[in-house]
Order: sequence, then C-alpha cells, then structure tokens
Amino acid sequence: MEIWINYLDQVLIFVVFAVSLNLLLGYAGQVSVAHAAFGAIGGYAMGYLVIEHGWNYIPAVLLGALAAMIVGTVVALPALRLSVEFLILLTLAVSLVTIGIFTTFPVLGGTYGLIGIPQAQIFGYELAEPRDWILPLLIAAVIIYLLCRRMGESAYGRVLKGLREDPDATRSLGKNVFAYKVSVFAVTSAMAGLAGGLYSGYLQLATPGVYSFDTSLKIFAIVIFGGIANLMGSVLGAFVVVLTEPILERQPFIDLDARDASLIQLVIYGLLLVVLMMLRPQGLLPEGFSIWRWLKGERRAGTRVEMEAEGWVPDIDPASLVVTPGGSEEAREREWHEAPVVLEVRGLSKRFGGIVAAQELDMDLHRGTITALVGPNGAGKTTVFNLLTGFIRPDAGSVRLNGTELVGKSPEQVARLGLVRSFQDVRIVPRLSCLQNVMLGVQDQTGEHMGKLFYAPRKSDADERRTRERAMEWLQFVGMAEFADVPGAALSFGQSKLVALARVLATEADVLLLDEPASGIDTKWVDTMLDLVEAVKHQGRTVCIVEHNLHVVGRLADHTYFMELGMITAQGTIAELTSSERLAEAYFGTSTRA
Amino acid sequence: MIFGALDIETVSQLTANGIINGAAYGLLGVGFALILGVTGRFHFAYSITYTLAAYFMFTLWDRVGLPIWPAVLLGILAATVLGVSMEQYVYRPLAVRAGATALLAIFVASLGLTIAGSNLVQLFWGSENQILEGPQQEVINWGDVAFINFDLWSVISAVVLVLILAALMRYTDLGRQIKATRVNPELAEIIGISSHRIYLIVFAIGTFLAGSAAFWYSLKFSIDPAMGLRPVIFAFVVAFLAGTASSPIRVFLTGVAVALLEQYTSIWLSVRWTQTAVFVVLLVYLVVLAFEPRRVILSMFPQLAREKV
Amino acid sequence: MEHVDSLVTRATSGNGESPDMLVVDGLFTGYGRKQVVFDVSLRVGRGEIVALLGHNGSGKSTTIRSILGLLPAQRGTIHYQDRNVTSLSSSHRVKDGMAMIPSERFVFADLTVLDNLLLGAGKENDDDVRRQRLEQVYELFPVLRERSSQRAGTMSGGQQRMLSLGLALMSAPTLLMLDEPSLGLAPIVVEQIFDTVGRLAREENLSVLLLEQNVGQAMRILDRAYVMRSGRLILEETAEQMRARDSYWDLF
Repeated sequence: MEIWINYLDQVLIFVVFAVSLNLLLGYAGQVSVAHAAFGAIGGYAMGYLVIEHGWNYIPAVLLGALAAMIVGTVVALPALRLSVEFLILLTLAVSLVTIGIFTTFPVLGGTYGLIGIPQAQIFGYELAEPRDWILPLLIAAVIIYLLCRRMGESAYGRVLKGLREDPDATRSLGKNVFAYKVSVFAVTSAMAGLAGGLYSGYLQLATPGVYSFDTSLKIFAIVIFGGIANLMGSVLGAFVVVLTEPILERQPFIDLDARDASLIQLVIYGLLLVVLMMLRPQGLLPEGFSIWRWLKGERRAGTRVEMEAEGWVPDIDPASLVVTPGGSEEAREREWHEAPVVLEVRGLSKRFGGIVAAQELDMDLHRGTITALVGPNGAGKTTVFNLLTGFIRPDAGSVRLNGTELVGKSPEQVARLGLVRSFQDVRIVPRLSCLQNVMLGVQDQTGEHMGKLFYAPRKSDADERRTRERAMEWLQFVGMAEFADVPGAALSFGQSKLVALARVLATEADVLLLDEPASGIDTKWVDTMLDLVEAVKHQGRTVCIVEHNLHVVGRLADHTYFMELGMITAQGTIAELTSSERLAEAYFGTSTRA
Repeated sequence: MIFGALDIETVSQLTANGIINGAAYGLLGVGFALILGVTGRFHFAYSITYTLAAYFMFTLWDRVGLPIWPAVLLGILAATVLGVSMEQYVYRPLAVRAGATALLAIFVASLGLTIAGSNLVQLFWGSENQILEGPQQEVINWGDVAFINFDLWSVISAVVLVLILAALMRYTDLGRQIKATRVNPELAEIIGISSHRIYLIVFAIGTFLAGSAAFWYSLKFSIDPAMGLRPVIFAFVVAFLAGTASSPIRVFLTGVAVALLEQYTSIWLSVRWTQTAVFVVLLVYLVVLAFEPRRVILSMFPQLAREKV
Repeated sequence: MEHVDSLVTRATSGNGESPDMLVVDGLFTGYGRKQVVFDVSLRVGRGEIVALLGHNGSGKSTTIRSILGLLPAQRGTIHYQDRNVTSLSSSHRVKDGMAMIPSERFVFADLTVLDNLLLGAGKENDDDVRRQRLEQVYELFPVLRERSSQRAGTMSGGQQRMLSLGLALMSAPTLLMLDEPSLGLAPIVVEQIFDTVGRLAREENLSVLLLEQNVGQAMRILDRAYVMRSGRLILEETAEQMRARDSYWDLF
C-alpha cells in the first residue's frame, strides 16, 4: 500500500509540472523543453538553502520558485523573437547549460548533486513518510491547478491562445503579445521551480539525474498526451505516465522485472507520442473539453463542416442594414470632401532594397466615409496597410490619426489608438470559437491583465460577461450568431471573413482598413457583405478598402485613390478614373501597338 | 596567468584533439543541416539512427559473425534504411495531416521515436556497454602530438565523405535538385522535381553520415544506449551556427571550429566547464540571433521563409 | 547550326484529330476551405496563344496551378494532348510537356544562371540534347550566356524573367503557362519577352496560356482571350473582338 502512496505523491508533483507546462505550451504555444531545468533551479536552490544555511523548508521552496521565475523571465526575452525551431533549441540549450552549471559547483554537489537533504518540516511537523506528504502535495497541486485554470480560461488565456496561433493578428487587435509571452514564461517557470522544490524535498535529493533532459521529455509527453490546453488532461496524463511503470511490473500476463517494466513503459509512451501525432495532433482530449459537459451529454457544435451548406446565407437582421440608398457618385464624392479628416497620411515612403513600395504617398481618410485604394498588381496596396498600422516602419513620412502621430508606434499601440485592419487571408484563430474570436477584438478587458484576474476577480468576471455580450451582438450583426461556439477552423472562407469583420468591429476603432472584403465570397451573398460594409460606414466609422474588383469599388467607395508603383497618381470617383486614358494605359499597358 | 598554461605542446595536442572531434561534429552537423535545410523537419530522432547504426553493426559482427568491414557497412546501411523509413512512414504522413501545426507535430513524433528507440535498445541489448573490435589500435606520434590510428582514419574518412557530398551538390543533377528544393520548394515542384523523392534521398545521405560517425566512435570508445544524445546535440549546434543554407564544407569547418573551441577553453576552464562552454556559446548565439534583423536569419535558414518566422 | 531538336517538342497528334493541346472542362478548385475557381472551361489549341485575363484575385493563378497539377481539381476534367490528366501528379504532367512560370519567385535566386537552366532540363538525360538546348536558350537571350555563373538573384528583374523563360524552355515544353510575365518590368523588356513568346508559338507550334493584367502588351501576340471575375469565366473573345473594344475597364 505504501508503494502506491509513494506513486501518488509523485503523480501530484508531476501534476504541478505538467499543468504549468501546459499553460506555457498548450495555451501560449511556447515549445519549451526546459521545464525540468526550471524545476532543477527550484530544487537545487531549496536544497542549498536548507543544507548550507539551515533554512526552513517552505521559505526555501518559495525562494527556489522565485529564482526559477527570474531565470524564466530572462529566458523569455530572446524567446520573444524566435520561431518555434529556435525556441526549441534555446530551451534545449538552457536545459543543458543549467545542469552543466549545477554539476560544476562543488557546493552544489558536483556531478552527484545534493544528496541527503534533510527531511522537510512544515510548521514543526516532520514529513517522514510518503503518506505525510499527500496532504501538502495535494494542496499544492490543487492550488497550482486552479491558478492555471483561472489564467487559461480567462481573457488572459484567450490572448495566450491568440498568441499561440497568430501573433501578428493578435497584435493587430491591440494586444501586446510580448508582454504576455514574458509573463507566461515567468509564471510557469516559477511553478516549475515550486514543483522542483517539492520534488527535491520529497526525494531528499537534487541531482542531475532527477532533473535530466529525460525528465523534461517526460513532462512534455504528459502534456501532449493529456491534450493541448487541457489541464484536466494533464492531470490524467500525470496519473497514466507515473503509474504505467508499477502497473506494468505487477500485471499478471508477462513476467517483467522492475527494470524491464521501466523500459517498456518508456517505449510505450514514446510510440504513443508518435501514434498520437498521427491520429490526433491536438492530444487525447480536445481543447476546451470538459468532463462535466461531456457527462451532461452536450456534444460540440458541428466541427465537421467542410464547406458552406448549399444556399447558406448569413442570418442578418434586416433592420441593422437599413441604409439610405447611396446618392450618385458625385454626391458621395462631395460628402467625402465635406467630412472632417480622421487619418492624414503625408509623404509616406518605403523602399525594400531596390523595390519602391511607397513613394511620397499622400492620403486622407474622412470620417464616416468609405475610401478605396485600387491599382494594378504590384502597386503596393497591402504594403500601405502594413505601413499605416505599424507592421512595417516607413522610411519617411507621417501618419496622423485624429492628430496623433502613428509612425514609430507598434501595431498594438496603433490598434489601441483606433486604427485596425483586417487581413487578406483573414486569419481568425482556428482553435477558438467564433465568439471567442470576436471577444479577442474587444479592448480594455479587465481579465486580460494577469494581476487583475486575482486581485480583482469579481470585476474581471463581470467584465468577461459584458465582453461576451458585446461580442455576441457583433456576431449577430454579421449574421453568424448560430456559429458562436463553432471553432474557427470549421468555417468556410467566406464565413470566416464575416467573423473577422465582427472581430474588427468589436474593437470599436475609429478607422477600419479592410483588405479585400469581398474576395473569395460566394457570389450568392457577396452583396450582403457589401451591405454590411456600408452599414458600418453609416454607423459613423471610417473605412478604407483595398480592392481589385472594380465593381465592388464602384458600389462602395465614396472616393477612390489610384496607386501605381508606390505612388498615388490619381483620385476621384470610379467613373472619373476609368474614363482616363492614361490610367487605362497604366492598368492595362499600352493599348494600341499593332 | 593565462599564458602560463600555454605552451606549444599543449596547444598542438589540443588542436589535434579539436580536429579529431571536429571531424565527427562536422560530419554530424553536415547530415543534420542537410535534413533540416531541405525538408524543414526538426529530426530529433537523428540521435537514435546514430545509436542504432552502432548497435546494428555490433550485432552483425558479434552475433551473426560477419567480418568487421561488411558488418560495419551493412550496419550503416540498415540505419540508413531506418532513417528513410522515418521520413516515409512518420514525418511525411504527419506533414500531410497536420498542415499548419506540422512543425510541432513532427518534433513531438521525432521525440517519441527517440524515447521509444533508446529504450528498445536497452531492452534488446541491455544497458551495459558493448565493445566493437576491429583493427588493432595503435598510437601514433607526430612530434608533440599523440593520437591513435582510428583518429587519423576517422578524420580522413569524414573529410572524404564531405568532399564527395560537396561535389555531388555542386556538379550533379541530383545535387542541383536538392539545392533547388531547399532554396525555392514551390518552383522546384513547378518544374517537376518530386519533393517526396528528394526528401527521401536527403534523409538517406544524412543518416549515412551519422552512421559513419557512429562507427568511428564505437571503435574508439564503446557502444551504449545513450551514445546518440550528446553527439547529436553538437550536430544541432553546428548546423545552427553554420546555417542550413551553407555548403557542406562550411558546415564541416564550423564543426571543427566548435570542437577547437571546446578544446581551447580547457586551457582556462576546468574540463567540467568545457562542454557547458559550448552550450553557452550556443545560448549567446541564439540571444544575438533573436535581436538580429530578420533578413539575416532568412538568408541563413531559407526554409523559414516558407513558414511564418 | 543544324536544328536537330527544336526548343519545343513538336506535338505529335495522338489519334490525329483534335486540334486542341489543352481542354479544361468544368473545373472547380481552391485551397482547402477557400473555393476559388467555379466551373471554368477553356481550351488552348496547338500553337495558339490564349490569354486568361481578370483582376487580381479572380482565380487565374489558381486555375493554371490546377492545370499543372499543383492543386487537385475538386470537380471537372483536364485533358492534355487528348489524354485525361486530371488525376496525374504534377511531375508527370511536366514530363509530358507542360511548363509553368509563376508570377513570383520564378528563378532559383541563390543558384547560378547555368544551374537554373540545367535544372529546367531535368528530365532530359542525353547530354548532347541538353547542350543544344542550352545553346538555343543562350541564342535567344545572350545576356544569360554572359552571366552564366552569376547568382540568379543578383540580376535585374528583366534578366530574371528571361532566365525564367529560358528555364521553362529547357524542358522543351508543348504547353507553356505564364503567370503575369510583365509584372514589374519596363515596357521595352516586356515587349522583348512577348515577342519571343510570340515567335516560339508561331515557328515552333508552342501552345501558350498567358495570364495577364497588362492587356495592351498581350494583345499584340494573342489569338484568343478568356476573362475571369471572382472565380468564374465571364467572357471569351478573339483577338479582333478584343481590339475592337474601346475600354477594358468592364473586364475588371
């Protein structure tokens, strides 16, 4: 019986490791193989303080966690700009260097490590037997689980998922993904440090073997098995992985000694990792899976939608689309000129090596109007959007939004100031539901702030409810309300464009840059999409569209800029532009050469 | 203080050691860089193909009774088949299925293969070290420098293999096709190059190089289940430092440089630190890379241009 | 110099009757969830230059990628030289004589000009034939001979375009598909390239499917034109009919 209690204690420790790694890997998408190394920092620090300086157990563990957090924060800084392969390599290097450093210092036990850590004492009570540890470990595991769950399933967690899937799109909605990356590294490495302090206290050892690369892989495997972003799955995974070995040893079918059992266990979960990737790359339990909901019989809304059902059209309330019919082109042009200028672009220039993307570009966007940007291929239209929103820094020029200079600001700052964009390739977060996607667009959510999640919980929860309501309104506006719980990945291209529009509207930004709003949409309801864009304008927003389909431009635009090789060479109504011979030549090339 | 420890004999010996180790690091780096550069797959299981090459040769020689050289050759070939099978039966189906998350899925699968493989090795062959006996070991002295005959042959064979690969890449159709696939995979497909075939070939070459390195290691030292991990980490380091767009010769020389660094740091640091020193260099490199302009990264690692960096 | 082999394999007519090199019927294709091409049918005859016109995003590139086999056809058929190639791989179709030049990244920038050209001749094993083709490409574009050991990416845009055409011609194709060859090029260079293409079609019976936005230049060499908008074909006209138009704006 004692043996099983021993294993239970180990399960609880690995729950802390796995649940914290899941927050880092599963929610935030940061592939780290250094988790055990952070545990090592915690374990070694605790052991050193207890042995050399006679500290009490709990303070030593806490300091170990703090040390791990500091190192984790430092590691996060280069990690900010590295892609997945490099991040794996970075965390691998950190892992090896950490263990390397520990084995070098004699005061840390050299190659043998710290052995003979005295038995832990909590409030005077000695934890002599494995069963003494159950309660403290259970408390720790539950606390860490609840912390991770609170963070993961909140607005903060939503941004983490956005960061995981598409950092640029997430930045374009005003979220400072770098800050999130650093905070999640810091928190999870602190938790790993805590787990290390507990582990070394339990084993009374802190050695390179305990925190080897193999241990990191074991933790990694638990998270992958249990499911990305599925904390309960990590708990189950910890049980499975820790208990496989003793169960294998004791099963009645094949005679296995302890060593063989341990090896076979590892072979099994190595192979299972491979099989799992082939069959279900997202892990055994899908994201967002909850045991309670499964037991209650709720099934997930249609996840196997391949394309739109025949004849599907967005379910829009006609009342929200009632617009006064647009006047003549000349009338709209006049209104455009009369409306105040919201975005003023002057002298915008950018070169990429020999290629001129923008050259002394001057543009104005007027409040409550739709301005279009057209031009032949290679004219640089999408680059202009990138320049305006801070994704690319211009070589020269100024962009003023309601008087505030935007050049030099990051994309998330630009978004928060009121200029947001949509993407040509849409970029909604595939593993978030439509509603969650739209919620990601809402600004200033209390729950996005990790601290406020904990010291202002009621406000965070109330804010989350409000965010959900507002997001739902926008989803209804674009006619996708019935798809609220459907994951983004299950939508057709056109449907995802509607959700992206809702998301951009949810930011309540003054100025919206829409990149090809009508392309790729089924001809059956493309007019509805155009109606939506017009309705947006009538709500008082300022819209700028890039389009290649001149019929769409003719229908929507109050004023059109014609762009060629990085410069605005003409502007006016579509009729004016298309009647120009010179423009025809620029667009179509020389027309008469026999 | 520093220069007190420096005398010409020590430096020469360290240089020799560096070249000997560097030949192995370089060879492994070339193989790994080729695979990573052309296919974009983070083939962590490279380590287990290294280990299994050694175990296959050992089994053929010790259990089956083949003479040493055929056993070695067949052992390396068997490992090569294994490496190619990983691409064919695991990585490729996974890449097709997993789409956008393919990179992580392949890494995890590779990890799984490594874990499973190294433990299977222990199950079948035991955890003790095995000895491969080939030709007689002899010490060679060139002036102040001492090494053994295996060292000399391993360096020569490594250089020869790398030169052959470099020539292949430069002068043959296959080499051009491999470079084309690495540099512009979409265009390669458009002109009818089968990326499928190229990937298999590249895995074969890479694994063959690993097997060769494993042989020389086994001869000089011994064969144990964990032998693959450390060399392959050095392979990663070398491949990333040299950049996967580099020619085989440049990657190889980077390997030698890394080994020399490891050796020279022992002048100032105790032996315990030298290994860590290499990883510290890697760490510093990655940190610098993180703050370098993207252009530089993309020029060194063109496969990243295919994905979001 | 004796023209033993021309740069274009003269198309042997299978059972002799059909004058069409390429027949696409009812093609539906796209990228995963994004349906891009709806019910496109077109044909290209032997030695014909056919243009596929339309605004950016109208589905032109997607159509020819599907013809080449880079994208599976979700519905519809593709017949090439009277054979149904709809389910064949792209490398198979390339071996049969299809060639394409994409609109971007159309050369191997890090490789030399010579390497690029040799890659184009990939399927040809006979060294003599390869050398002859290389000679012919150099004759067409002498600048490539001068810069044969230069890295392709360091040449000007126009020279790279010529290289891409040379690359395609090294495989002695029977059907050449060009995706916006005039993009970013000076008019004089565009003229030169189009002239070359026109000549190859006339003299060597090369079939050409040309995607262009630059209608003006294309007009000089094309025989027929299709127009696409939002993934569908909206128009088919002969060159004369196109020239008779006073404006092209309605096409876009």
